[in-house]
Amino acid sequence: MNELDSLRQEAETLKNAIRDARKAACDTSLVQATSNMEPIGRIQMRTRRTLRGHLAKIYAMHWGSDSSVCRNLVSASQDGKLIVWDSYTTNKVHAIPLRSSWVMTCAYAPSGSFVACGGLDNICSIYSLKTREGNVRVSRELPGHTGYLSCCRFLDDNQIVTSSGDMSCALWDIETGQQCTSFMGHTGDVMSLSLAPDMRTFVSGACDASAKLWDIREGSCKQTFPGHESDINAVTFFPNGYAFATGSDDATCRLFDIRADQELAMYSHDNIICGITSVAFSKSGRLLLAGYDDFNCNVWDSMKTERAGILAGHDNRVSCLGVTEDGMAVATGSWDSFLRIWN
Amino acid sequence: MDMMISNLQQQRQVTEQLRREAAIKRISVSQAVLEIMKYITEHEQEDCLLVGFSSQKANPFREKNSCTLL
Repeated sequence: MNELDSLRQEAETLKNAIRDARKAACDTSLVQATSNMEPIGRIQMRTRRTLRGHLAKIYAMHWGSDSSVCRNLVSASQDGKLIVWDSYTTNKVHAIPLRSSWVMTCAYAPSGSFVACGGLDNICSIYSLKTREGNVRVSRELPGHTGYLSCCRFLDDNQIVTSSGDMSCALWDIETGQQCTSFMGHTGDVMSLSLAPDMRTFVSGACDASAKLWDIREGSCKQTFPGHESDINAVTFFPNGYAFATGSDDATCRLFDIRADQELAMYSHDNIICGITSVAFSKSGRLLLAGYDDFNCNVWDSMKTERAGILAGHDNRVSCLGVTEDGMAVATGSWDSFLRIWN
Repeated sequence: MDMMISNLQQQRQVTEQLRREAAIKRISVSQAVLEIMKYITEHEQEDCLLVGFSSQKANPFREKNSCTLL
């Protein structure tokens, strides 16, 4: 047998070994194991603020996390603008015109000093919010991806992780503009990424229907999580860093555990047949919020896998959502050009 | 010939990656879920979207009041 055939055969054997090892670790189901947990009752939230100002579909939003900006959020729209909002007052703190209007993602740096965005221009652009002159300007452009920028997240003011339609993710040194590390392995467009709370790893979700866990320093893929039946559009870590949730075009969200190396639960309903665009956990992790193509956001009891509530109010697809750092509110962004703040 | 070499290289990478992924240590699902439940229980009281606010005054996003006479 030549080397290629022998490697192929070994690969099949290894895939079976992984499947068997996962099965061996699967000694119960989530629903069974949580049967003694108190039910949570109906979750009813109301729109507390509506952020009006974008003139076209909103594609992404991200809350500020530093205490100085924890009420701020940044949103990106295909009207070619990034807007930084004060969610309390609904005032626009910054309205940043973009060089390319085909934006698909935005991010707030943890320090509050920078925002980033990117899209069909394949470039991650970094904007400084705190220049000496008092205006906002592009401080760095990070070219290098050969496909669209689907997601970006700052590790700190000088390092950002990106995911791309070129099937890779990358870690960048913003000062030098260079890619320090390239994360390869997905066999489809990478649509979303989520940084672990300890910032040493991140999870990515892709159009190859798998999620992957990456070690940032090593640049290596630690684990691959199959299960979904179509593109994964969104991923988010569970707050303890040992699990994550995904949302997919297969109309389901799923919960995966990193140390058990497998899917723990699926969140779906026969009535739900449209794709999920965005996912986020509430502060304790008990609620999983998911934005759908059918204009709604569903609130799932993550432990009982039942729908606990619904956020209805947008007049078009919910494209993005996020929970504040302190867990006090959730923001949804939509193709109807508005953002809503709920609690 | 080049196609064959790159196919071989690719398959080497795929198989090596699978070797790494097969070798990891796994915990049981029951253990994993126990830790998730523990985290939730420890933090649920501070989860405002779950337990709500003691009064609307405590909600930083409560509807803004109309003008008051100072």
